[in-house]
Amino acid sequence: MAYAYLFKYIIIGDTGVGKSCLLLQFTDKRFQPVHDLTIGVEFGARMITIDGKQIKLQIWDTAGQESFRSITRSYYRGAAGALLVYDITRRDTFNHLTTWLEDARQHSNSNMVIMLIGNKSDLESRREVKKEEGEAFAREHGLIFMETSAKTASNVEEAFINTAKEIYEKIQEGVFDINNEANGIKIGPQHPTTSSILTSGQGGQQAGGGCC
Amino acid sequence: MEYETKSGRAGPGNPTSPRQSVRKNLDFEPLSTTALILEDRPANLPAKPAEEAQKHRQQYEEMVAQAKKRELKEAQKRKKQLEDRCKLEESIGSAAQTWNQEILPNWSTMCTSRRVRDLWWQGIPPSVRGRVWSLAVGNELNITHELYNICLSRAKEKWKTTAAPTTDTETEDIGSSDRESSLELIKLDISRTFPQLCIFQQGGPYHDVLHSILGAYTCYRPDVGYVQGMSFIAAVLILNLDTADAFIAFANLLNKPCQMAFFRVDHSLMLTYFAAFEVFFEENLPKLFAHFKTNNLTPDIYLIDWIFTLYSKSLPLDLACRVWDVFCRDSEEFLFRTALGLLRLYQDVLTCMDFIHMAQFLTRLPDLIPAEQLFQHIAAIHMTSRNRKWAQVLQALTEQKRSGARQPGAEALS
Repeated sequence: MAYAYLFKYIIIGDTGVGKSCLLLQFTDKRFQPVHDLTIGVEFGARMITIDGKQIKLQIWDTAGQESFRSITRSYYRGAAGALLVYDITRRDTFNHLTTWLEDARQHSNSNMVIMLIGNKSDLESRREVKKEEGEAFAREHGLIFMETSAKTASNVEEAFINTAKEIYEKIQEGVFDINNEANGIKIGPQHPTTSSILTSGQGGQQAGGGCC
Repeated sequence: MEYETKSGRAGPGNPTSPRQSVRKNLDFEPLSTTALILEDRPANLPAKPAEEAQKHRQQYEEMVAQAKKRELKEAQKRKKQLEDRCKLEESIGSAAQTWNQEILPNWSTMCTSRRVRDLWWQGIPPSVRGRVWSLAVGNELNITHELYNICLSRAKEKWKTTAAPTTDTETEDIGSSDRESSLELIKLDISRTFPQLCIFQQGGPYHDVLHSILGAYTCYRPDVGYVQGMSFIAAVLILNLDTADAFIAFANLLNKPCQMAFFRVDHSLMLTYFAAFEVFFEENLPKLFAHFKTNNLTPDIYLIDWIFTLYSKSLPLDLACRVWDVFCRDSEEFLFRTALGLLRLYQDVLTCMDFIHMAQFLTRLPDLIPAEQLFQHIAAIHMTSRNRKWAQVLQALTEQKRSGARQPGAEALS
């Protein structure tokens, strides 16, 4: 399908905070109470519309265990947006945000838009992290913030779409050089009939290999 | 039996039940034609002209004939399926006998013979699978049942001491908080291990066993600890072996060079494995290899999951066990050969895909993978490159890396 832009996203955060469930809710509109463990990386894709333009999101959903950090680092390259997720019912997942953020800043493009997500907002009775704390952390580090529930789908669309809006605005402002695919943005094929989509995919692994 | 439940669940929709019950003793009474009754036009309408009636009768007869033919064909197909299944069960039964009576009692002399190797390739019968795996994996570490029990009781002690103060979030000592989180993580992951089987989840029959093995391992190898992916390996072993023997096989399996490299997340060594894989990839499937390169689809994207869980998460369980069979025979090389077999099997599909579709396809393989076909494709993969075998290629790449030389694949990943 033709698209105006393609953005690469990466979802990061501690294991078990609901990264794969957020992705599944966003791409398939369903919730799996017991999701398979993610080893390495999994993928999702969805088309959204912003400002009347079709934008394809290519989402990299990563493994959260600390031991896998060195592997995850190679997935940052060429990401235009990151969803940094913690679990509002587990304080330690919030405490680890700083190291995640350091990792993200160090291994990605400096313009990458980061959305901080406090997931599992449906579990109010087990809440360990106040919403204000999430907001404060986001403010302090210049992130966008939202609380979501992959279970009830609350704010899930918004989280993914608002990130894209922010990226889109940066493009309009000229912050992103869209001709440099290392920024995680790719302009859609101008002539869809030549089916350049098929040959234009990028793993985002090589220097300059962007997002697609 | 697993094979049956799996194929039953995944099989195409069966005919409706009332028909099915009649079908048992019919071979060709074409039931579907009972709906095809040629009736005269209702009395309140003018009668058909003779020519039209004749034409309708003829059409009717053709329809019945076709329906009969179809039914007959379906009946034959069912009969063949039944025969195939019987044959399969028979061959499993006789293979089990051969393994039990001939091979296992004479393991050390027979295990390398041509005949046993061939039989091995065809899949080890489930009833002897665990024993063959144990023998093939060996016990280089000399772990005894007693040692397992010691490790387990140590793990239990730790659970007890950490279970109490879970609410307190300020742990001063980083070491202990790490260990704690590792134990917490095991708990979290057990329920996410084969969730569809519903046997490892809280309250399931194997929940505690899986917990025990993983906990004991973190005490046996605190330097490695618990790493995600281990729970799948332990789970598959539990399904085929008693707890202590499963632990012994588990620890010895993880001690193999490739598994150690991955579970210690030795990134540089993992990259060497990927580079070696790419050598054989290019050699065996040059076109697909080029397609992957153009799309920047690097092996870490799909191999990590396959190697970490030894395919138990990505392939249907019965098929994964068959891969394990030969993996126990041929070691790590077979894991990479299987990967190439999978890529060969799906070569045509993959060639038509872009990056994201390939990535999605490979990280979530189809539910139904034809076992025999896959093994034919694996068999067609040659694990030699310019006269060098897997181990030699790996060795050369390791040395190359050690001497600081750059190599293909490394720059893409590092």
